[in-house]
Amino acid sequence: MKIVAVTACPTGIAHTYMAAEKLERTAKKLGHTIKVETQGAMGIENELTQEEVDAADAAIIATDIAIEREERFSRVRKIYVPVQEALKDAEGIFARLKG
Amino acid sequence: MSLEQHFTCPLPNGVHARPASALEEVVRGFDADVILVNQRTSRTANSKSILAIVGADIRHDDPCIFKVSGPDEKQAMAALTLFLQDQFPHCDESPMGNPKPSDALRLPPCLSQAGALVYRGTPVVPGIAQAQVARFDRKTVPALLPKNGEIDPAIEWPRLETALEKLIADCDTRLSGTDQGIEIELLKVHRSIARDIEFRRLLSEEVNQHRHPAAEAIANAEKHFSDVLIASGSELLCDRTLDIQDVCSQLLLEFYGRQATQAAVKLTGDSIVVADSLTPGQFLALDRKFLKGLVLARAGATSHTVILARAFNIPTLAGVENLADIQFNGHEVVVDADVGVLVTRLTDAARRYYALEKQRIAGRRAHLRTLSMKPAGTVDGHPWKTLAWWFITRLSMKPAGTVDGHLLEIAANIATGAEAAGAFEAGAEGIGLFRTEMLFLDRKSPPDEAEQLKAYQDVLAAAKGRPVVIRTLDVGGDKKLDYLNLPPEENPFLGCRAVRIYPEFEALFRTQIRALVRASAFGKLRVMIPMIATLDEARWVKKVIADEQRKCVEEKTGFDQAMLVGAMIEVPSAVFALKELAGEFDFFSIGSNDLLQYFMAADRMNGRLGALYNPLQPSFLRFLRQAVETAHACKKEISLCGEMGGQARYIPLLAGLELDKLSASAPAIAGLKAELGALKLPDCRELVDEALDCTSAGEVSALLETFASRHNPPLIEESLILLESDATTKEEAIKQAADQLFVLGRTENSRALEEAVWQREATYSTGFGHGFAIPHCKSNAVRYNSMVLLKPRHPLAWNSLDGQPVRVMILLAVREANSTTVHMKVLARLARRIMDPNFRAELENTADPATLCALLLKSLDH
Repeated sequence: MKIVAVTACPTGIAHTYMAAEKLERTAKKLGHTIKVETQGAMGIENELTQEEVDAADAAIIATDIAIEREERFSRVRKIYVPVQEALKDAEGIFARLKG
Repeated sequence: MSLEQHFTCPLPNGVHARPASALEEVVRGFDADVILVNQRTSRTANSKSILAIVGADIRHDDPCIFKVSGPDEKQAMAALTLFLQDQFPHCDESPMGNPKPSDALRLPPCLSQAGALVYRGTPVVPGIAQAQVARFDRKTVPALLPKNGEIDPAIEWPRLETALEKLIADCDTRLSGTDQGIEIELLKVHRSIARDIEFRRLLSEEVNQHRHPAAEAIANAEKHFSDVLIASGSELLCDRTLDIQDVCSQLLLEFYGRQATQAAVKLTGDSIVVADSLTPGQFLALDRKFLKGLVLARAGATSHTVILARAFNIPTLAGVENLADIQFNGHEVVVDADVGVLVTRLTDAARRYYALEKQRIAGRRAHLRTLSMKPAGTVDGHPWKTLAWWFITRLSMKPAGTVDGHLLEIAANIATGAEAAGAFEAGAEGIGLFRTEMLFLDRKSPPDEAEQLKAYQDVLAAAKGRPVVIRTLDVGGDKKLDYLNLPPEENPFLGCRAVRIYPEFEALFRTQIRALVRASAFGKLRVMIPMIATLDEARWVKKVIADEQRKCVEEKTGFDQAMLVGAMIEVPSAVFALKELAGEFDFFSIGSNDLLQYFMAADRMNGRLGALYNPLQPSFLRFLRQAVETAHACKKEISLCGEMGGQARYIPLLAGLELDKLSASAPAIAGLKAELGALKLPDCRELVDEALDCTSAGEVSALLETFASRHNPPLIEESLILLESDATTKEEAIKQAADQLFVLGRTENSRALEEAVWQREATYSTGFGHGFAIPHCKSNAVRYNSMVLLKPRHPLAWNSLDGQPVRVMILLAVREANSTTVHMKVLARLARRIMDPNFRAELENTADPATLCALLLKSLDH
């Protein structure tokens, strides 16, 4: 599958990046392609374009706070999870995308 | 016959002293007897005696009867009925109960979970001390008072009655002068006891029948009524014995005067002294070897006792409510004047917390000591330094820029000679302000020339050739000397103080000057005159000094001809007269506390004016700049010796203003030097230029903030790797990490940093599994972005995502302001790297701090 994701957490110091890393590693392991945008203390990095979002099969929004530019995801199939869920059970999240 | 009225006690706390006092007020005017019967206990009480009423032990819902008999019984009963209806149910609406452990205060997590009792107070001298309590508040009767039978009741009793009447009158006076609810109630209770008929009867019996002296009569009455209350078995009544003790103490004081108060507490081991209040004299009489901490019910932050406590570095807490009611029972307590609490009933966890605190403070001190011993710090006794000093002082010239690489001299403020040695040990390069008031306070006559000479010589001896600035007597205003009989003033701070009273008390001033002139033969003494406002004052003072020096020549008494005389700049007018004053004085020292309060017309004791009384006000900084420039244009040295100089965060400004010297309290010195060591003069000058262009104190504060962030050290260093930690809980591990950041000066407020970590932790646990946790925070309590790696000896419960205990903790502390820096990228990289099992294994299996540090730095670098 072709997946896009956004991670964000309250302080934007740790969990944003840990979750991003975890999602990337898990996608690789499961044979998916993924691009993860981080919205942390340094602002938006690895930003997803509208085209990339539209071309994706699904989106994962792993966040504990309201994310910026959420409107990009209005047309894509998406699931919302708390950011620590990505750390705890990333494979479970991907499984839910399939179903 | 008698009238009866049945009622049930509606008061939740029962009839203690306050309701009893209200009842007594109602019935005392009637001739009729009013007997109060508590049907539960069958006790009866005369309602005209507050002590008897309280002794009846009437509790909530107790059934009671008033029995009224006598000529005006109907009127009395009517008044009682009205009282029972309207007043009685409401006369205890703000009970003076025991203080409860404060919950409003945010306590550090390790302490709040420790199960100890915590009483809140205002920290006035920071620090922490743990020891047993020595109480100071009970007035003890000196042994020299007359023994049994040696008194004449015909003389003793009328005197005791007079003392009672004076006590009552005193309560009345104080009652008319206060509108403080609690104080009014308390005074009424005291007044009721003082005029209690039972109390008076017993005193009379003691003196007239048993021929006991007043002291013994009072002590026996106190014991009798205390016993009655204690026998009631009610905790509330037991507490009320304090009211009786209070009144008896006041009565003793009234009868015997100062004799009854002078009894000193003798400390026999490490002690926390607990007192209602303490005079400077009482403080100085305490054995400082044993004095570890001070808890006062009443004391302002600038009272002399507090200034002394600060000077001797005695952790002090003031304003602890209902201090007299706290039971210590001989157990150890902690005075924590960092958090602002008195801690009793120390549990193991509380003891562990304070052991960590001790390490934290000692660690910081040791670290600062290392820093201040670096070459750029002190160069005491260095020949080149001495030469430079001579050059500056003798020729009154200041080389532009720096003297041997450092920007500012750091000297110490002291209030007694005893502090000098400690100040030099703390790194002082001289004494910048020796306040001489302590020599004069709390005594019946001023010290003579010989006594003063000895005191000044002692300080000069401790200085070993380093300069000592001695300020002449600064009294008047808020500081009173009984023997001067200064009249009260409406506006003491704008009144007759310091140099303004010298002409009136010329002999006193001449004695001090003579002692100083003679002392100048024994070291590098400089005299400083406080509160100089005009050239006339300067000339008058200089003439007196010249007179005394001439007399010394005539008497062939040795002194230093070149002794420098300076002026303390506290009155704004002096800054505008500086050029003229420079003709009379050799140096200037800015007393920033008074100068700021006079400049802003803002009372520094008035907390509501804190925004005005702020040394970062741009107008004040411009004023300081003008003072420094004028002094330097006249080739005079100018220093600063107020509280502003003791704050490390102002150092870049003060260096940039090009002051020649700072003088601060000894404990602040190492921190100031450490701060100074990192600065370059051109940067500081630029900072000052920008600050002078600011439009508010807030802007200047923000500017300082940005300035400080430029000198960031690396994120991690070897000393931030804590292996084999003995932390037993998550709380302790986080505290240890935060403490280490404090030790290394990466935060000035480790508690606020901890608090921020816990706020973050509250959203969800940072234990992300695999035995790793990364607690973190973004807070301005963080001075430099930092990372701490801690490995506990035993894995810690952390409420992790996978339920595993934590074997490796990495704490990330990030500054709130300007956090989008290169450090953020590094931290983001760490967060990603830590998801790699190989990296985690490497971190976990490496047991050497240097290797771990290198590993972290390398892996986080590109």
